[in-house]
Amino acid sequence: MYLRRLLLGAIACAPVLAAMPSFAQAALVPADAAKAFITQSGQQLVSVVNSNASGTQKADELRELVNKIVAVDQVGDYVLGRYLNVATPDQHTQFLNLFHQLLSYNITYQIKAYQGLSFVVDGATPMGNDMVVHTTITSPGKAPADVGWAVDEVNGQPKIVDVIVAGTSLRITTRNDYASVVTDNGGQVSALLKAMKGQITKIASAQ
Amino acid sequence: MEPPSLGGWVKLGLNSMMMTVKRRLSRVFSLAAPGLLLPVLLAGCATPPPRTDTVDYQAYQQQNDPLEPTNRVFYTVNDKIDTYAFKPLAQGYVDITTQPIRNHVGDFITNIGEPARWANFMLEGKPTDAGTAFVRFLLNSTIGIGGIFDPAAALGYPETDTDFGMTLAIWGVPAGPYLYLPVFGPSGARDIWNLPVEYFATPMELAPASGALTDFGYAQTGLHLINTRAAFIGPIDQVKATALDPYATFRSLYRQSRDSELQLIDERDTPVPNPWAHR
Repeated sequence: MYLRRLLLGAIACAPVLAAMPSFAQAALVPADAAKAFITQSGQQLVSVVNSNASGTQKADELRELVNKIVAVDQVGDYVLGRYLNVATPDQHTQFLNLFHQLLSYNITYQIKAYQGLSFVVDGATPMGNDMVVHTTITSPGKAPADVGWAVDEVNGQPKIVDVIVAGTSLRITTRNDYASVVTDNGGQVSALLKAMKGQITKIASAQ
Repeated sequence: MEPPSLGGWVKLGLNSMMMTVKRRLSRVFSLAAPGLLLPVLLAGCATPPPRTDTVDYQAYQQQNDPLEPTNRVFYTVNDKIDTYAFKPLAQGYVDITTQPIRNHVGDFITNIGEPARWANFMLEGKPTDAGTAFVRFLLNSTIGIGGIFDPAAALGYPETDTDFGMTLAIWGVPAGPYLYLPVFGPSGARDIWNLPVEYFATPMELAPASGALTDFGYAQTGLHLINTRAAFIGPIDQVKATALDPYATFRSLYRQSRDSELQLIDERDTPVPNPWAHR
């Protein structure tokens, strides 16, 4: 009886076991490589933020940099979470496009307040599948902020997959924010897309 | 005049304590009574999605916010109070102070909370952290001139945080449903018990009741509120500007922050070796 249950269980789990190697391939980025990546990316970010370029030019440069150093599609899918299976392929494509735009707008908004910023890499520790690089960011007139950057290997390259401030994860927060919009609208992904478009229009008109 | 007997001293002490409790309770209720009555009047509960709708039902369970409609009403009210009162005050405070001054104010307020932290760490069974809170209070209240400076941190006793909500969590009490309280903001069925405990667990409670002490209590509470709000001007503005649903975002941030605090307490405090254990 027990043997039969074990065998049936093994057969039922076979597809999962077959999929395991694909997870195993996503190896943890070594601490030194992750620190070097964040140091380089941070220096690029600081040079854009502290440059004398116009606001529009800075926003364009930031957008380009974000797409280069952040795994935007992977973060987008994580943020969509359980609704990834509910969304149609067309809605998924639309979501990723809007997510790219919103992420760039949000980073541009946040970075405005950090003119004159500098950062120090303090170390790196593994957290789940990611290597988190700890940094201290300082800017004039503000208390120093401890910020963690979760780095993961995407298509053979290290990329940022999350930002952690005071124990709070940006991607989990965004995921909960978006899930609330969908659940408040009867589980419709279309409501989320509408809210994202509304937000982009709001931010674009404010800038 | 004959000095009171031991029973008399106890009676006097109890009377004094009761007066203090009454005074403090009246302050709490005068602040929060209108808001505390509202949940009863509104009694709004979220309607759970059908269990057959697995994705939505799972999301509902994970949110654990059955009072969401009522909570959202309080969020809107608090948001208005914040926009028209707290934020302008905090902005004005930032304009007339520098970051080092605000840090010293923060240190002073942190120091007043150290005895409560000591008690909570003891209740949590974290003697090392309790010792740190005790030494910090001792050093900062004396060498640190009443807590305005934080020499304890430089001497190897960094700030460690806890509260009664964390104590209950360590005792195994689950977080429970999310609550958004009038005036106080994000909380939960477990963390709400932190409010009365924090209110009474201050060194001022040991001093005899007086008008000056009451005024000091008001001033300290006001300064605490404004200094804390000033520290969060940027992050709160940022959430309001970038989130699709700021209420849900603050709820998520609150829960993550509490989980992280709990994890930090567990990671930091190394257990004291048992001297009777076999080696």
